[in-house]
Amino acid sequence: MTTPTSARSITWARRRSTLARFWRDFRSHNTAIAGLAILAVFALIAIFAPLLADPDGLNVAKATAKGHQPPSADYWLGTDQNGLSILTLLVHGTRVSLIVGLSATAIAIVIGTLVGIMAGFYGGWARSLLMGFTDWFLVIPFLPLAIVLATVLGASLVNIIIVIGVTSWPGTARLVCAQTLSVRSRPYMERAKALGAGDWHQMTRHVLPNVMPVVVAHVVLTVSIAILSETTLSFLGLGDPTQQSWGNILDSAYGTGAMSNGEWWFVLPPGICVVLVVLAFTLVGRALEVVLNPRLKEG
Amino acid sequence: MHHLVRRALSVAIAAGLLAAPAATALAQAPAPAQGKVTFTVGIQSDVDSTNPFTGIVVEAYESYALMYDYLVSSKPEDVSPMPSLAESYQEAPDKKSWTYKIRAGVKWSDGQPLTARDAAYTYNRVIKGDFEQTNYGNYVTNIERAEATDDTTLVLYVKKPTPIMERLAIPILPEHIWKDIDGTEVKSFANEPENGQPIVGSGPFRLVERRKGQFLRFEANKEYWRGAPKIDELVFRVFLNADAEAQALTRGEIDFAYDLQSNVYESLKNKPGITTRSSQYPGFNEIAFNNGAALADGTPIGDGHPALKDKQVRLAISQAIDRDVLVERVLQGHGSPADTFIPPMYPALHLDPATKQTFDPAKANQILDAAGYPKGADGVRAKDGKKLELRLFVREGAESEATGEFVKTWLKDIGIEVNVKVMSEDALTEIIGQGEYDMFEWGWVVEPDPDYQMSVFTCGKRSYKDGDSIFADLSDSFYCNPEYDKLYEQQAGETDPAKRAELAKRMQQMVYDDAAYAMTYYYNDMVAYRSDKWTGFVPQPAPDGSLLFQYGIHSYLTIEPVKATSPAAAAAAEDGGMSPALIAVVVGGLAVVAVAGVLVARRRRTADADERE
Repeated sequence: MTTPTSARSITWARRRSTLARFWRDFRSHNTAIAGLAILAVFALIAIFAPLLADPDGLNVAKATAKGHQPPSADYWLGTDQNGLSILTLLVHGTRVSLIVGLSATAIAIVIGTLVGIMAGFYGGWARSLLMGFTDWFLVIPFLPLAIVLATVLGASLVNIIIVIGVTSWPGTARLVCAQTLSVRSRPYMERAKALGAGDWHQMTRHVLPNVMPVVVAHVVLTVSIAILSETTLSFLGLGDPTQQSWGNILDSAYGTGAMSNGEWWFVLPPGICVVLVVLAFTLVGRALEVVLNPRLKEG
Repeated sequence: MHHLVRRALSVAIAAGLLAAPAATALAQAPAPAQGKVTFTVGIQSDVDSTNPFTGIVVEAYESYALMYDYLVSSKPEDVSPMPSLAESYQEAPDKKSWTYKIRAGVKWSDGQPLTARDAAYTYNRVIKGDFEQTNYGNYVTNIERAEATDDTTLVLYVKKPTPIMERLAIPILPEHIWKDIDGTEVKSFANEPENGQPIVGSGPFRLVERRKGQFLRFEANKEYWRGAPKIDELVFRVFLNADAEAQALTRGEIDFAYDLQSNVYESLKNKPGITTRSSQYPGFNEIAFNNGAALADGTPIGDGHPALKDKQVRLAISQAIDRDVLVERVLQGHGSPADTFIPPMYPALHLDPATKQTFDPAKANQILDAAGYPKGADGVRAKDGKKLELRLFVREGAESEATGEFVKTWLKDIGIEVNVKVMSEDALTEIIGQGEYDMFEWGWVVEPDPDYQMSVFTCGKRSYKDGDSIFADLSDSFYCNPEYDKLYEQQAGETDPAKRAELAKRMQQMVYDDAAYAMTYYYNDMVAYRSDKWTGFVPQPAPDGSLLFQYGIHSYLTIEPVKATSPAAAAAAEDGGMSPALIAVVVGGLAVVAVAGVLVARRRRTADADERE
């Protein structure tokens, strides 16, 4: 108690201890750790894809093997219709699938949080309008909307990200709006207002930090949905055909007779990758929800 | 003849399929008719229009040949001309007219007699027509007018001696129906059955039902003058892709699978009850260049790269393409490398160039260096500050997409940067007409008479303007060479087949030397059919040619069910079954889902336990 501590260092100390407590809580969920491990593996594969598998292996013109070959010593997971190694496609597909999943989620979260906070904070007609808009998006079936958008915008990686981003924000908006409503009615908000805090200050300094935990947990769940959506759209032939994603591999398998020929090495690996990544994100997301949301934690 | 649409996955159809999978799946197959012999053909490109003035895909032309009669046809043995609705024909001694003797006693499907007047009406309509010229104009360039002197005599008056008179492939339409459809209405006229009323025609079949994107159902014309077909019903069923089509064939839902891709074709080999057939076919694919897009009057249009107007650049690109590799890897050997635009299936007309634009990247680099396109620091060539960065549009489908990848890689080696874009055939058709491309990958199917295909490269077939809109004509390269046009005019008046063939070869040489296209390959017609159930196909040409989608409708008249089928064999044919490998895939997939499910369930239980604490 000899040295006076600044407000800033108190804040930092508090943050450090919160983080430590969070990690302790999180660590107690075995499945979450398993999920995190799976994600770490896929993240490493995505980052080091060019080192793990020569990018030349994606070039149809440089392939030498025959198409539709079963797994062998040279091609561990066999070859696709053009004689490319499916393992190479899978490794590079990890990158595309994760990039699409994360970027689309970023778009969805930004839109969802913005709409949610505005709606919750202002209330009245602004909320009716914004939430009406959100509900409208929520009731449109996702797939037809995404297909129409993808068709209109054209097949490219950026467009697929945009399509998934703008179709998956309503859930976040609803969640954030509900949380904002509860934060807004807390007494300290009234104090802040009495001290002269403007709308912007209140929203960014008081509401946003308090809805963040909900958002974070939701982000992780949204990523898994985004990756699944990318796979679906690519499988339907709406993805960027020049980028190898897991969905594109499935599309080629479907389009070139691999499925009816029982070429499991063409169909199963991308399917398993999708299932694993989605599962991992879901496990982590659920654990985060429990850790960050006190109401879910100890009844 | 026309662009062959090989695989067009229509997104609209895909969307419909997803919205109501069950309903669509049920609706896709027409209800089987009780006690009728039905032959079902699987196709992948839906007939774009049953109006003979509108359709462009091969499947559409097949439907016209089924519904209507033509003055002349092509023999199954060697694709040479044969009489059809005209039982005989003769050129007048003064060479100013041709007289066609129309078969007597032929009736339209509504009972009205078909006479020479109907034929005269149809020909005059094309001659005087505007929109009607699009599909059939090239047949009547030299025909002044048509006249029916009596019910069985049609006289076509010609401006000059014309070689195409034995090859006139215009369907004869019933005047009493079509006279009510004027020149404007015909553009949007569907010519589809309404209120259960079949389309009035005279061919061996009549169209009784049509669902867009699903199927076309034809009923046999038992009074057909060439003899009644041995089947009662014919169905064209549309599939979204070759794999779905192949599965339907394996299961016995369809009897004939048309337009298979090489991958799927290979997968159908050695399946019981199924015969696969890869026949020589008069089709080719090419990388088409934007030779300088312009309207027929010479007004420039579009946004093609200026370097492609330079013949040397086009030649260099052509020499950078390894056609043998494309045949081997894209077609899996079901075709041959292509050089000139009349396929070797027509040996009398096909030109095998003396010196070929063979794969030679070093030579291609030399040509570009000499033409003044030095390589920049980034390895990309440029002239006057404009880089050789070219767009290449390919069509949806494994073959076109793979070709695009190959070309991109090869051109990179000679310092040309290629941006490949995949698009639907509908979208590409639109872009070509506007001249808004650098290169694209597509193909043509060539008729026995070379006139149509040769007309594609004439100046007059470039796009035209109507009001403020630009409309596509046949030219898809905007090649325009007055010398070529002169030869085209000359051959159109050359009635000596040998001399005309000589002209046709000179024209092919000219287009080849100018590299209007970089030809890629002549492909085979890959089909598979249930040989355990059907027999009586007539190949064209004999003995290894196509079985269906020929010039003429020979097979449809003679296809019949295999007779002495033992019950056991029939049962085996019915039971397509699942292959053990497929079962393994399904089981494997289920296992993965199950494991995931268990994990999630366990996770839930843990959460519950946490909550109970």
